[in-house]
Amino acid sequence: MNPSPSIIQGDLQDQKIAGYQSSLGVTHTQTVTLRGVQIQSGFTFDQVGVSYQTLGTLSARRDNAILVCHALSGTAHAAGLHPDTGRPGWWDFHVGPGKAIDTNKFFVICSNVLGGCDGTTGPMSPRPETGKPYGMDFPPVTVRDMVTVQAKLIEHLGISRLFAVIGGSMGGMQALAWAVNFPELVRVCVPIATCASHNAMQIAFNEIGRRAIITDPNWNGGNYTPDCSPNHGLAVARMVGHVTYLSEYAMTRKFGRTLQPPVNAAAAEAALFTVESYLHHQGESFVSRFDPNSYLYLTKALDQFDLFGTEPPEEVLRRVKARFLVISFASDWLYPPAQSRELVRLLKRARVAATYINLETLYGHDSFLIQNPEFANVVSHYLGNEYRHANSKQAGAAV
Amino acid sequence: MHPGIYETVLDWIPDGARVLDLGTGDGAFLERVVRVKRAVAEGVERNPELVAGCIQRGLVVHQGNIAEGLDQYGDHSFDYVLLLGTFQELISPAEILREAFRVGGRVIIAYSNFAHYRVRLQILFRGRTPVTKSLPLPWYRTANLHFLSLLDFREFCRQMGVSSIRDACFNARGQVVVLPNLFAEEVVSLLEPAGPQRKIKS
Repeated sequence: MNPSPSIIQGDLQDQKIAGYQSSLGVTHTQTVTLRGVQIQSGFTFDQVGVSYQTLGTLSARRDNAILVCHALSGTAHAAGLHPDTGRPGWWDFHVGPGKAIDTNKFFVICSNVLGGCDGTTGPMSPRPETGKPYGMDFPPVTVRDMVTVQAKLIEHLGISRLFAVIGGSMGGMQALAWAVNFPELVRVCVPIATCASHNAMQIAFNEIGRRAIITDPNWNGGNYTPDCSPNHGLAVARMVGHVTYLSEYAMTRKFGRTLQPPVNAAAAEAALFTVESYLHHQGESFVSRFDPNSYLYLTKALDQFDLFGTEPPEEVLRRVKARFLVISFASDWLYPPAQSRELVRLLKRARVAATYINLETLYGHDSFLIQNPEFANVVSHYLGNEYRHANSKQAGAAV
Repeated sequence: MHPGIYETVLDWIPDGARVLDLGTGDGAFLERVVRVKRAVAEGVERNPELVAGCIQRGLVVHQGNIAEGLDQYGDHSFDYVLLLGTFQELISPAEILREAFRVGGRVIIAYSNFAHYRVRLQILFRGRTPVTKSLPLPWYRTANLHFLSLLDFREFCRQMGVSSIRDACFNARGQVVVLPNLFAEEVVSLLEPAGPQRKIKS
């Protein structure tokens, strides 16, 4: 392990990086309106707007589509520079020409999840009947609902089967839900730093975040306005969340006990640790782009996700047709490797071909978001080999 | 390990077998098994860099130690379980062998013979822990936890209720046929449950 001192941590889209170049240049997102979407709660949306991005070219055989699923704070803008902000997409380090998910080879799709706030229908979208935001009247959303909407998007794009579904954290849960709920539609599943269901600690951290939002006086039962919204609560939620995505090593290395230079004489009295100032910045930056109600809905979806539910895991996984690459990070204490190992054990017992690697990246849960050559190497080789393998099998079947 | 061991194992594995390779390293041999024998194969390896190497070769691989790796699989998931060169490094070889026979039908084990005459001579005349071609590292650097001979291994198999249906012994000159416990440096054995009930003693 030889980490570079200038390693960039946290969500890429929250950073101002001087001179950052994306090999994709400026990329755009589009929106499509899907009609008649029924979700698990029984609620039916007459229409759902979905914000999405596609990169690369769909092959003539339409067999090279990879769906990239974003995590809690992610967006449809996976890679390339945002046309308005100029900031890179959240996975620009790993999606692009010649990168882990190679846009020269694959047709990459990334969409904002149902219940999100980056262009897909969510709590801040206007209700068709009233024109006012849904707020807390938005129906409860599950990870499976997110996947249902993605499946409709894929259909809309004229793709009958995905080559791969890949994602970290909440994105990994979506990948798992894809493999279980649409077994015929997924060749390869790559869940990263994720689990089949949250444990008590993961739920607890999310509840702290939710509590911070709903006890903010501006929350007002979810009926807030843009100029009077529970920004304070959301910022605190983000601060707590962000700490759980890092590692002690990463924080010590980045901040140690260094102090911020005081802005004036009064501030010098109560000097601020760099880590405090960093967290304030993370909170503020997040508030400017995330909807508090959306945070409540998505964290609830995470907590309630249970890949197996009341069914025996083996029966659920026996339906799976995909081959798996499961990745965890030794330093991830929020989604500890033991959860991934348990998932792999269940997959293997159900005779699913599953490769497992626990990378020694030192940067905690966020290890899949940062520049990480070991990670990139494993993902790119795995996808490349599986694609070749699938093609040769297809060629064999044709003979 | 002696290259003859790999050739022998390749010879013993039938076409299309389901194979689990414990301690698969960079996967070079397992890749051959897949290619030559069209085996449906998986490896278990604890070193993440070597696991990445296996992924690069397109192998299905599990990162973990051998005991943990075996726990992942259901009963009778494989036709052959391979333990090539790692056997004397296992903390509890008896437990691993039982587990190997739970997940697989046959087990192939390769190990170093500690009763090779050079080893005997070094202990007898030099009074030192032997360092030889097949035991190349000094006592403080070797990963070997157990020092066994061919006769020890046979006795171990008897006690475990398994029998060796094929053996091949090697030293630097090639295959050894005469007095293998004295002249073999490395041995590979194909094991099967012994007796009519075909049950491994626990």
